Amino acid sequence: MEVGMLPISASKRGKLLAAGYTSLDAIARASPTHLARDMDVSDSEASEILNLATKASSALERPNGTHAAVVGGGQTAWDMLNEEKFSSYITTSCVDLDNILGGGIKCKEVTEIGGVPGIGKTQIGIQLAVNVQIPQEYGGLGGKAIYIDTEGSFMVERVLQIAEACIEDMAEYRHRFHKDFQACDVKMHPNNILESIFYFRVCSYTEQIALINYLDKFVTENKDVKIIIVDSVTFHFRQDFDDMALRTRLLCEMALKLMKLAKNFCLAIVMLNQVTTKHIEGSFQLTLALGKR
Amino acid sequence: MRAESLLQLKSRSQKCTVGCPALDRCLGGGVPCDSVTEFVGESGSGKTQLCLQLALSAQLPPSRGGLSASAIFIHTEFPFPLRRLRRLSRSFRASNPSLPCPDPCDRVFLRAVHSAHDLLRAIPAVEAFLLHSRSPWRPVRLLLIDSIAALFRADFDNTAADLRRRSALFFRISAGLRRLARRFGLAVVVTNQVVDFIGDGDVRVGNLETGLFSSGRRVCPALGLAWAHCVNSRVFLSRDEHGPVKTRRMSVVFAPHLPHSSCEYAIKGDGVFGVEMQQQQQHANV
Repeated sequence: MEVGMLPISASKRGKLLAAGYTSLDAIARASPTHLARDMDVSDSEASEILNLATKASSALERPNGTHAAVVGGGQTAWDMLNEEKFSSYITTSCVDLDNILGGGIKCKEVTEIGGVPGIGKTQIGIQLAVNVQIPQEYGGLGGKAIYIDTEGSFMVERVLQIAEACIEDMAEYRHRFHKDFQACDVKMHPNNILESIFYFRVCSYTEQIALINYLDKFVTENKDVKIIIVDSVTFHFRQDFDDMALRTRLLCEMALKLMKLAKNFCLAIVMLNQVTTKHIEGSFQLTLALGKR
Repeated sequence: MRAESLLQLKSRSQKCTVGCPALDRCLGGGVPCDSVTEFVGESGSGKTQLCLQLALSAQLPPSRGGLSASAIFIHTEFPFPLRRLRRLSRSFRASNPSLPCPDPCDRVFLRAVHSAHDLLRAIPAVEAFLLHSRSPWRPVRLLLIDSIAALFRADFDNTAADLRRRSALFFRISAGLRRLARRFGLAVVVTNQVVDFIGDGDVRVGNLETGLFSSGRRVCPALGLAWAHCVNSRVFLSRDEHGPVKTRRMSVVFAPHLPHSSCEYAIKGDGVFGVEMQQQQQHANV
């Protein structure tokens, strides 16, 4: 039993096992808040256990050089179906849009949103970055967001407006979920919402690729991150690419990395895309930029 | 790489006043820094007037909505309206006698640009200027380009290859401008012309549902969809001289931080001023 290796008290070990955490990997993948809730301990104790587990599991991996998850990757379709049923959604705050998306933006998936300028892509992006933080008591995920801005359209004043509206909305729903709302009230302040959005401004495609590569490490350190928004994925790739094959290769690689992130850390990825006109059989039609990936 | 704190960003995102409270209200406080704003309108709608006025009002202290900063004015249409700037700066000076600069024109740096490639070369030059200038009138926080469309309307054919070359240039210029805006906290303002709208079934860009009308004609901004992706906010200036009264109107087409709103304005000897329609209507109703 891997949990036995952790230098923690017997009672905590018992709680861990009772909560169903048997492998170090499982603990390392959980977020401190989840772990704290499952084990019924304080957040600080949970993050301490998490640290120990992360250290121990990386120590375990080194000798044989293989990752446990890669070897034990087999999963039946039945499991996958069950998992899908319980997978979590991030609401867009718009019922019609949620219906189209089948409940909202789904975790573990990469979603692409495209449209003409001014249609509201950035607005949806900001809305999602705020909505992901709706606490679990209110039916949200209580996670954090990473916002990758390539165009400079991210306006903090707008985020603040959306955050305030979101808190107002929650106050309205208070009577429906009113168990321990006091605690949530304290936690949800517009400034806290701003603090839980990790904002990266990217000024070239090299930076964009470097950032995507770095995200893996960043998310490992910040397990609360539940959504990554790239606004827009396209902009820097429309500048000076003479070598279209290189562009396609870079884009594919980036998409692949994002998909892997989504799967490994159970988070949602939203890519915003621009549109371009395409000449098809004598008429001009709108298509998503960068072609089919 | 490190994530930035939005709380710090919040204090950094400033606005530069347009120089008129009514217009500022329409634009949510003015032209945002660290962002590219486009004014689009037909000739004579007041684009250049607004730019000149912005170049002056940027010198106001932050307490009055300005940036306490100088402006770089890149002009592509000749000649530069120097007499108009003189006239504006005299009245600006008269209404703001406490500013440190004796002649507000000293704080407007000019550069002429003749082609799109010229503009692309001007961007590093501007960067070098911002970094190394010894001018007593630093900092520079406002970059104006009047107009971007003039650069692209001559040199390019209507063939697929040329159009692709053109839109690649758009994105390079825009990336350059955004990088500058980001690095130095600049408010970047570009002006664009309009073309007459021919045919139907075009893509609607932005919030104006009925399309853009100016002088009674349906128009759309020049340079097309690709360029529309290259700006953060777009503001449409229209004029209507066929009605009983001459009116000019400023409308927000799209902006990440603004709802759709519009405001009438008038151009007078000492500047561009918004006209509060609501007040007038309320008076009329009473």
